[in-house]
Amino acid sequence: MHAHPARPVALALAGLTRRFGALAAVDGVTLDIAEGEFVTIVGPSGSGKSTLVRLLAGLEAPSAGRLLLRGRDITGLPANRRPTAMVFQSLALFDHRTVGQNIEFALKMKGVAPKPRRDRALELLRLVRLPEDYYGRPVTQCSGGERQRVAMARALASDPEILFLDEPLSAIDYRLRKTLEVELKELHQRTGKTFVYITHSLEEAMVMSDRIAVMRAGRFVQVGSPEEIYRRPVNRFVAAFMGEVNILAVEGGVLSGLGLAVPDAAGPFAVLRPEALRLDGGALGVEAEVAQTLLLGSRVQYHLRAGGQALIAEVPAGGRALLGPGDRARFGFDAADIAWVAE
Amino acid sequence: MSRVHGPWFALPVGLFLAAFFAAPIVIVAWYSLMPPRTFELSGALTTANYRAAFGEGYERPLMWSALGAALTTLVCALLAWPTATILHRSAGRWAGVVTALIALPIFISESVRLFGMSLFLMPGGGILAGTLNALFEVRVGSILNSRLGALVGLVYIHFPFMLFPLLLGVAMVPADRIEAARDLGAGRLAVFREVELPLAAPGLSIGCLLTFVLALGANAEAAILGGRAVTVITAAIEQRFNYAQDWPMGAALTVLVIAVTAAVVFPVLARVPLDRIIRR
Repeated sequence: MHAHPARPVALALAGLTRRFGALAAVDGVTLDIAEGEFVTIVGPSGSGKSTLVRLLAGLEAPSAGRLLLRGRDITGLPANRRPTAMVFQSLALFDHRTVGQNIEFALKMKGVAPKPRRDRALELLRLVRLPEDYYGRPVTQCSGGERQRVAMARALASDPEILFLDEPLSAIDYRLRKTLEVELKELHQRTGKTFVYITHSLEEAMVMSDRIAVMRAGRFVQVGSPEEIYRRPVNRFVAAFMGEVNILAVEGGVLSGLGLAVPDAAGPFAVLRPEALRLDGGALGVEAEVAQTLLLGSRVQYHLRAGGQALIAEVPAGGRALLGPGDRARFGFDAADIAWVAE
Repeated sequence: MSRVHGPWFALPVGLFLAAFFAAPIVIVAWYSLMPPRTFELSGALTTANYRAAFGEGYERPLMWSALGAALTTLVCALLAWPTATILHRSAGRWAGVVTALIALPIFISESVRLFGMSLFLMPGGGILAGTLNALFEVRVGSILNSRLGALVGLVYIHFPFMLFPLLLGVAMVPADRIEAARDLGAGRLAVFREVELPLAAPGLSIGCLLTFVLALGANAEAAILGGRAVTVITAAIEQRFNYAQDWPMGAALTVLVIAVTAAVVFPVLARVPLDRIIRR
């Protein structure tokens, strides 16, 4: 679980634990986050990711473990004295204040004079691509996407060393969310800051992150690049969490549901991505009957039955006529497409 | 046919307000312009009563009432803020019990409660002084029959009228806004000033108004716990109407109290989003 070797560690989590009674919401989490890295902590609800980010921001005190910011122990430092900032799931904008007053809040707390405060706020409005005349507008008059940007600007105002983002896009509709994901990624590149992003959506994590930590029951199950997590999940939980996937039990080197022998079987379960099953080629293959055809746009998803085994295949939609329910075809794949997992 | 029923539905309340709110004010205001010590509404209009109000020393009881009401409001607010915050955030299932304990005395006659307080504060053999003397051999004086006694009575009686609106006010402060302020570097005092106070302001304003207006018109606290240490304006008005049989003078003093009340209430009410409180 080591950070990018070439960059210094910005934030080190060492055995961070938070117990609520008998339950450990965060259970001994260890991770080094590199300077300028975009790390996403992803997990289902109840996995402890929100508690974890509250520990990082100082809104919650850990029961055990340490937190080091650029080598300095900040475990006991309260939120208002940590040089980090957080974008809340609810955004938590100050509705009784204007856009400008919201953005300037952290600077006001630092005792910065009104004039430089205002200059910085206008600079941030430009950074998050909001018109400068929004400065005097009540935040209650802003749309969802604009509020999102105000929250980002507010968190960035005091030039925090790390930015925590706790599912800030979860309340936003799909199309706007896609736009904001890209903008957030750009903002990360423009500011060069370390971002720690919390989400339950793998899709979001994949688009934005340098590294993803998959969390389950208070622990990190796997930490790695989006590609590593996608191609080499460590267990069935991670594999299934990363989207629709075929998980096949293996007995004696044979994919038991399909009755298909595979060379070099390296685990009791084979994970096969839907896009690995294709209509042409592949050293291995199964004769399958189409149960359902779902056109997703550029790709088409087939729900298949092969013997007693249900399979999902996803192939490019162009080039050939779609198969319909009841059609039979050979779906091929290679042994290299399989990710083997132990549990 | 008009489909707008509003005016008709409002008629009963309108009649009620006209008969029991507007009419008495008009009568009192009219009486205040009658010649002194007359009992008719048909005399020649005069401002003699108002001139007398400021010439014969009535500004002192008016001042005591206003000061007492202002101090009561301040002390109640200072006591009720932490109470409301604790009840809302950390009292858990005890919140209901404590709230009920604070609310219950409202159902007991104010005079009974004040006489109870009087027994409690009685010097020598009073409950407080007697107990301290018997158990700890500590001798204490008494604030009974003093201005402080009257103020304690005012705070004691009016505390719930500050607390309950303030509970609504404190409930209007979302916890995540407080956390956001802390995260952005605000200490305790800054969180209070920048977030809690402005967001709870509607409830606090209503509480202050209720407390101030009720305390301004209060009489029993000063009479029972204050003794003769202080004469409040309501006592002076009562005395004009009853013993002095000078209704126009009493009416003029009443109009002055109403004017003070209006001067405080209207500016505050204009700034309070009542809709927002009620919808919560």
